[in-house]
Amino acid sequence: MYELIIFLVLVTLGYLIGSYVERKHFKSIREREQTYIDLLAFSVRTPPADARIGKSSLVAGSVVISIDYFKKTAAALRSFFGGRVSSYESLIDRARREALLRMKEQAKKQGANMVINVKLETSSISKGAKGQVGAVEVIAYGTGLTLT
Amino acid sequence: MDYENRLVPENNLSTEHPLKEFFILLAGLTGIVIVAVVVLATLAESLALRIPFSVEERLLADTSFFSTQSATISDEEQRIENYLQKLANQLAAHMAIPAEMPLTIHYSSDDSVNAFATLGGHIVIFRGLIEHLPHENSLAMVMAHEIAHIKRRHPIVAAGRGITVTMALATLAGIGDSGAVADLVSLIGIPLTLGFSRAQEEEADEDALTALQARYGHVTGAEALFFILQEHSFAEPPPFLSTHPAADKRIAQITERQTEQPSVDSLTPLPEFFGK
Repeated sequence: MYELIIFLVLVTLGYLIGSYVERKHFKSIREREQTYIDLLAFSVRTPPADARIGKSSLVAGSVVISIDYFKKTAAALRSFFGGRVSSYESLIDRARREALLRMKEQAKKQGANMVINVKLETSSISKGAKGQVGAVEVIAYGTGLTLT
Repeated sequence: MDYENRLVPENNLSTEHPLKEFFILLAGLTGIVIVAVVVLATLAESLALRIPFSVEERLLADTSFFSTQSATISDEEQRIENYLQKLANQLAAHMAIPAEMPLTIHYSSDDSVNAFATLGGHIVIFRGLIEHLPHENSLAMVMAHEIAHIKRRHPIVAAGRGITVTMALATLAGIGDSGAVADLVSLIGIPLTLGFSRAQEEEADEDALTALQARYGHVTGAEALFFILQEHSFAEPPPFLSTHPAADKRIAQITERQTEQPSVDSLTPLPEFFGK
């Protein structure tokens, strides 16, 4: 009986706290995206032909976001039946956008006006091992250019 | 330069509320588990009943549990065991126990407040329980209840059901990426199997009361057992999570039978060598 209670408590806490944290994070992400909208970031490999480049450097941003117990259980149910795991989709979306924003923050600190050759790498959410809470790790990196 | 970064169109997120998806999937999984458990348990029961009683006896023949017990028993304990065996045989005569189902009673000097029936017609009664029983009628209730389990072949049915359901749930639980499905499946499956156990206990209670009625002519004193069990159990889990029906319900069943008859003043006492 205690297992049932612990399970219900974990799932409820996971849902309440997890969805609150997620909402706050998305709000922060959208605000910062608006702030950094002028710092251009592209996955094009070469800088624009008419750009006069002063300085260039590597800029990167990375983030690790953990899942909560509710997301884990929802994903487990989904993996039984198949289909879109929407609980993980929002997690990946957050992580990638956050990683890009952190990369832009670092670029701004270094005085860059734009970032080219942006690449993203996602590490898999740790699966399987019973009892382990999974996490998603994303790194975004590119070449920061200071235009004169 | 025509480059511009636009705001993210938010098209990677699902518009459905996560709880809605969660409950739909949970209901689906629960439905599957319930159907699987009920079908398998029913099949297992009908197959287990076809296992001959002689196989049950043979299953336990190799274990040393009962033989070491009887080897170390003292004379006093042997006396009690003989009395219990005699009581069992008397009750069995009123319960139409077939001849090929011999009942073997074992008395354990352990002080747990318990008694159980197992495969092969073996019944074990513990000193802890006997010490608390006030008269022979309550002891007969215990004995008849255990004999009823054996008569209806509950031990082999429970064993067969348990193995089948456990293996099926383990197979279901292995599916999926994380261990959460295993937790869910066992959380859903276990209360179901407990329901079967409770049904068996109710049947045994009814048979026991009928046997008491046949032997003593009344069922007065049978409820004493359940008051004692209530006193000696920690906290009773809620009925849907326990192997036995709630004690109150069992007592109510007895008192209902008692109101159908005139009350009796004198109950059969236990023999003196019980040390009361």
